[in-house]
Amino acid sequence: MKGSMFATRTCQALLVLFTLLFLFPAANTQAQPDGEGLFKSQCAQCHSVGENKVIGPGLKNIHTRKNQEWLVKWIKNSQSLIKAGDEYAIKIYEEANKTVMPAFALSDEEIISILDYVKAEGEKAATTAVKGPVGAGETADAEPGFPWVLLIVILTLLIIFVALGKVKTSLERLVRSRQGLPELEPVTTTRATKNWVRSNKKLIAVLFVVGSVWGSIKGWDALAGIGISQDYAPEQPIKFSHKLHAGQNGISCVYCHSGALKSRHANIPSVNVCMNCHKYVQEGPVYGKTEIAKIYAALDYDPNTQQYGPDQKPVQWIRIHNLPDLAYFNHAQHYVVGKQECQTCHGPVQEMDVVKQFSPLTMGWCIECHRQTEVSMDGNGYYTELHEKLKEKYGEEARMTVEKIGGLECARCHY
Amino acid sequence: MEKKYWKGVEELKNDAEFVRLKNNEFYEHLPVDEVLGKKAESADSTSRRDFLKFMGFGMAAASLAACEAPVRKAIPYVIKPEEITPGVPNYYASTFSDGHDYSAILIKTREGRPIKIDGNEQSAISKGATSARIQASVLSLYDDARYKGPSIKGETAGWANIDSNIKAKLAEISNAGGQIRILTSTLLSPSTHALINEVATALPGTKHVTYDAVSFSGMRMANQKSFGKADIPTYDLSKARMITSLNCDFLSAWLSPVEHARQYAENRKLFGKKEMSRHYQFESNLSLTGSNADHRTRVRPSQMGAVAVSLYNKIASMAGVQEATKVITPFDDALSAAAKDLWNARGQAVVLCGNNDANMQEVVNAINTLLGAYENIINLDQPSNMRQCIDGQVEELMSEMAGGKINALIIYGANPVYSWPNKSAVEAAIKKVPLVITTSDRPDETSAMAEYVCPSHNFLESWDDAEPVKGHFSLAQPVIKPLFSTRQMQDSLIKWAGLAHEDYYTYLQNRWMSNMYGMQSEVTSAQAFWNSALQNGVFNTGNTERQAIQYNGDINSAASALNGVKSTGVDIVLYEKAGIGNGNQANNPWLQELPDPISRVCWDNYIAMAPSMATSLGLVQGNVVELTANGVTVKGPVLIQPGVAENTVAIAIGYGRTAAGKAAEGLGFNAYPFATYSNGTVHMESLGGSITKTTDDDYLLAATQTHHTMMGRAIVKETNLDAYLKDPKAGNPDVMIETYQGKKLATEVDLWASPKNPGFDKPNHFWGMSIDLNSCTGCGSCVIACQVENNVPVVGKKEIDIAREMHWIRIDRYYTSDMNEEKAKEEGLGKMGMLLEMEKPSDSPEVVFQPVMCQHCNHAPCETVCPVAATTHSSEGLNMMAYNRCVGTRYCANNCPYKVRRFNWWKYSDNDQFDYNMNSDLGKMVLNPDVVVRSRGVMEKCTMCVQRIQYGKLEAKKAGRRPGDGEINTACAQSCPTNAIIFGDYNNSESKLSQLQKDERKYHLLEELNVQPSIYYHTKVRNKIPSSGNA
Repeated sequence: MKGSMFATRTCQALLVLFTLLFLFPAANTQAQPDGEGLFKSQCAQCHSVGENKVIGPGLKNIHTRKNQEWLVKWIKNSQSLIKAGDEYAIKIYEEANKTVMPAFALSDEEIISILDYVKAEGEKAATTAVKGPVGAGETADAEPGFPWVLLIVILTLLIIFVALGKVKTSLERLVRSRQGLPELEPVTTTRATKNWVRSNKKLIAVLFVVGSVWGSIKGWDALAGIGISQDYAPEQPIKFSHKLHAGQNGISCVYCHSGALKSRHANIPSVNVCMNCHKYVQEGPVYGKTEIAKIYAALDYDPNTQQYGPDQKPVQWIRIHNLPDLAYFNHAQHYVVGKQECQTCHGPVQEMDVVKQFSPLTMGWCIECHRQTEVSMDGNGYYTELHEKLKEKYGEEARMTVEKIGGLECARCHY
Repeated sequence: MEKKYWKGVEELKNDAEFVRLKNNEFYEHLPVDEVLGKKAESADSTSRRDFLKFMGFGMAAASLAACEAPVRKAIPYVIKPEEITPGVPNYYASTFSDGHDYSAILIKTREGRPIKIDGNEQSAISKGATSARIQASVLSLYDDARYKGPSIKGETAGWANIDSNIKAKLAEISNAGGQIRILTSTLLSPSTHALINEVATALPGTKHVTYDAVSFSGMRMANQKSFGKADIPTYDLSKARMITSLNCDFLSAWLSPVEHARQYAENRKLFGKKEMSRHYQFESNLSLTGSNADHRTRVRPSQMGAVAVSLYNKIASMAGVQEATKVITPFDDALSAAAKDLWNARGQAVVLCGNNDANMQEVVNAINTLLGAYENIINLDQPSNMRQCIDGQVEELMSEMAGGKINALIIYGANPVYSWPNKSAVEAAIKKVPLVITTSDRPDETSAMAEYVCPSHNFLESWDDAEPVKGHFSLAQPVIKPLFSTRQMQDSLIKWAGLAHEDYYTYLQNRWMSNMYGMQSEVTSAQAFWNSALQNGVFNTGNTERQAIQYNGDINSAASALNGVKSTGVDIVLYEKAGIGNGNQANNPWLQELPDPISRVCWDNYIAMAPSMATSLGLVQGNVVELTANGVTVKGPVLIQPGVAENTVAIAIGYGRTAAGKAAEGLGFNAYPFATYSNGTVHMESLGGSITKTTDDDYLLAATQTHHTMMGRAIVKETNLDAYLKDPKAGNPDVMIETYQGKKLATEVDLWASPKNPGFDKPNHFWGMSIDLNSCTGCGSCVIACQVENNVPVVGKKEIDIAREMHWIRIDRYYTSDMNEEKAKEEGLGKMGMLLEMEKPSDSPEVVFQPVMCQHCNHAPCETVCPVAATTHSSEGLNMMAYNRCVGTRYCANNCPYKVRRFNWWKYSDNDQFDYNMNSDLGKMVLNPDVVVRSRGVMEKCTMCVQRIQYGKLEAKKAGRRPGDGEINTACAQSCPTNAIIFGDYNNSESKLSQLQKDERKYHLLEELNVQPSIYYHTKVRNKIPSSGNA
């Protein structure tokens, strides 16, 4: 029963996945590559393909507002249309507070390809808006780590075990009755267990020893894990996806976490940094406008007037990496001087939708890395002389680890 | 019958006591409740088992609670200010000027919070130096006692309401021809003075009166008479080879102590020089300056005038000038020597006088004219703007108020109710004023009488400027948004007088962009000028040319007035402590806990008298006595203070505050009533008093040092200049140790080093410090700087008394004793008898100071005894301390020969028992976020500001270069006004530290132990007249 349900679910998930797979290439072939490139280079500074206003109005369903001929004219030289007294032209000119749309020296074909692209994007957004979240929700169930398969295997084995036991007793009974032997006294389960224990003392002893060793190891691990929040992945007030920003869009980590360049703190960016992009990107691919609206709410931002309001409230992020106060850690030291990748400690953040604490952040973990990691001394004037001295001491070929420059000393991190 | 064995005779007797005890397992009461911190009445309710249960439950609960980490939030800025990066400090140039002290400062802010104040090296006045009071002033911003907003008669009110009220009333008074007075402490701000003038024009009948608790009006009067200028001159002691001071504590209190200390030290340093200044001190109290003098003479306050006249006579006779009336003092030898030295060094000699007495100042003016001090050292053409108070004007105001002639009084920073000699007269006078407004930023005794409380910002929240010396300007800028609903006094005045200025900031800026801009020609745009002035914090117009001085005073009348002073009883002299000063920062627990540099007593003032006087009166330290003089009687504890003049007691002002806040209240007693007003000035002394012992219980005076002499050991090594010139190692002989191979240098006898184990190398850096005992004046600036930088807690008087102070750096002070080995032989004293005598300081001792912090021994005794390796050595020469590893055995402290380790006997933060700044949300804002707040049960000590070292190294690494010498500095070294402490890297051969260690005066403290400290000292050299006679 369970098995069949699982199968149906998987099938559904696969189906959605396949649909999506088919849908994407379809969308890609429909849009003219020419149009997309042109739109991004010429139009995207002022217009979005959605409904939102950037500087000019959003272009979604632009083909329904006016015919192609008019649009081509407008794009080529909007001012001439206005001067010519075109009613609609004057209307949108007024709406945009008389902001002039510059004239574009584009050919008719180019403009049409842009319009096709806008039209396709509008239709695509409509499909994903309906289907996208459903797909995400369905696939999400299959992904997480609960070992369903293992459970099923164990259950099946148990059933087989019990069934075989039953079969064995009934066969025995059958044999006895055939041979005319008296029927066995019905044995209680406890009794049976006791008998089994008596006849398998060595096995029990071995099992007991193995069990207690295993238990103590597990217990020790559990106790040692107190206060370690590895894999801590709290839900954040904004469903910000590093996978989307750092992974798919390839934004550098220190674009937002610029503190890592000069400070001990990498710093969660203030919302005005988000606005560098989200002034234009007003809709996300997964949650649409809801999450981006939280940025606007924090700034009391009005997309229409493009002004920050007075009622600003900071975003209360949940802190994931909580080093105790007694440990001093400096991001700039590791990122700028040590030339470490962020991922060394934070893991593949660019693949995480929800960020988790990747490393244990224990002192043992720090020390281990300081023992292994070589100091990048080349080209840094600070280390030139020191490097020579260390070579004398440890030999030319020795690995100059952090440990060798005193990186394990208490007062490097504790003061 | 069954046999019965008794357990003892008691059981046979079977008396009631036995029966009672039989049922108790434990004969004695177990102090479980005391352990659990419960009150004694519930003692029976808890048994030992319960205690164990509680313990067990507590531990289980604690470990369970530890499993679930609390959710911590990270809340970034909504819009991050461009200049702020969390984790990176910003520095702003500003000005400290509280009416008493001045310094151009740099304020370190972290995440928008000011946390540390340092000197601004660009200032020509303070040149980067600060004092303990200026270092500590950052805490005044986070003082819970500050006014939180405006109020009328104690009722909270809105600014708008108050403004309309006051504006209408002032206008009404002015229109009706009434009198308005603005009573402030000294305002160094030229813009504020200009603004007050505008107020006076807008509201006719308004006058500005300046009131200083410690006034210099005697000097102003004298200079008016002598030279026709009622100014206070500026002094350049770096040009003085011979200094004679009459009751003048110019290193710690007088006029501009930070500036003077730096100048004075220039001529006391001996690095690469063969000469130093000589300093004579004639004084009644043992002051910080006196303890640095080469020759010090104890003079009663009543004899001081005669001393000045006698000095004049001696110099006049050498100069061939008519002498004043002949006087005979008991100090003829000392005065002759001083006079001779001064005269021989004329042109480079100066006499300073700390008495606020016009006659004495006039005599001193005459001496200085004869010595040619006005040519180089004293500058009357570039006068100081400090201490603007004219006592006569204050007295006049008091009588006007008492006579009901004043209709409105606006107070700012002045606190005459507390510090004017006659407190009740001031109170009665102020009560007669119908409209009293205070604009002080915190409550005080005078503000408490005001109907309208209109609090001003703290100086760290304000715009202002200052002109401490004519032509030397500095700017003050806000470094934090106002914490409370306060408004700058200047803005209030603009509102109340209905002036047309937008606000004081614009007013200030406009003035600078016109007036000050016009004084220079380098910068050609007003905006650029303003920007650069704001960034640098200071602006100088250059020095004005000196004009020849013509002394026109009447030396004879001044001398005869001085000769008339006689006293038969106990003379009382008032003085300022290095920490508390005039008392305006009394609510600062850091300053209260700063040990007095001389007596080492914290949290109190006292009646200090010489040991001989105490013996003759049958008094011992802590006895409570009644001191009466000029109709004032005060009760206070006795402190035995060697060096105070005979038949004289010295009392510190600044204590006995009644309305300053919880840290200040109940400490000591108010000594200002002993000040006397006569001949137009307030004298900080009373003559002819009497002392009677009371039957009160002894009073506890908590001191950080109770042993006063070196007992013949060379802890502070000392020599005299003539011996030093003959042999640079004078007073600093090599320390030799007797071994089986004969005598060896202490540094060669080593338990650890062997050819196999040459010790630890320090390939990268090797940090250390040098301390020049010649330049250290003992002022205590380093102690406070360290406390601010390193989150050192305040522990309170009780803990100090049981030797649990937490300061990471202390300044040991030693007195000389009259006993020495030769004398003991002469007198036939045995070893014990000699040592007992050596413990007693002399009645008029020489004094030495020695700052002691963790010496960062490279063979550290503390490191080898730690059972958990919580204190270890770094490859940069630092003795490290990992607090969270420490289990509190205190073995390290016991094994430390320097006694510099401090144990956290309590949790000093968030603990009502220690209700100081770490127990309040506001006070905690001053904490340095780069330094851990230590918890109970761990050891701590000087880290050589490892957080600064790490920060400086990182900055260098980021830039790909080595850190330069002086780029990294410890808090103590940075704050030292005389640069006695130098921090540096031994591995950098260019560093000052490496250079200075070549000096022959270098020595390690307790060198015979060979613990190889990273910190070394330089022998103190005095410049006494050589015993052979010739100077």
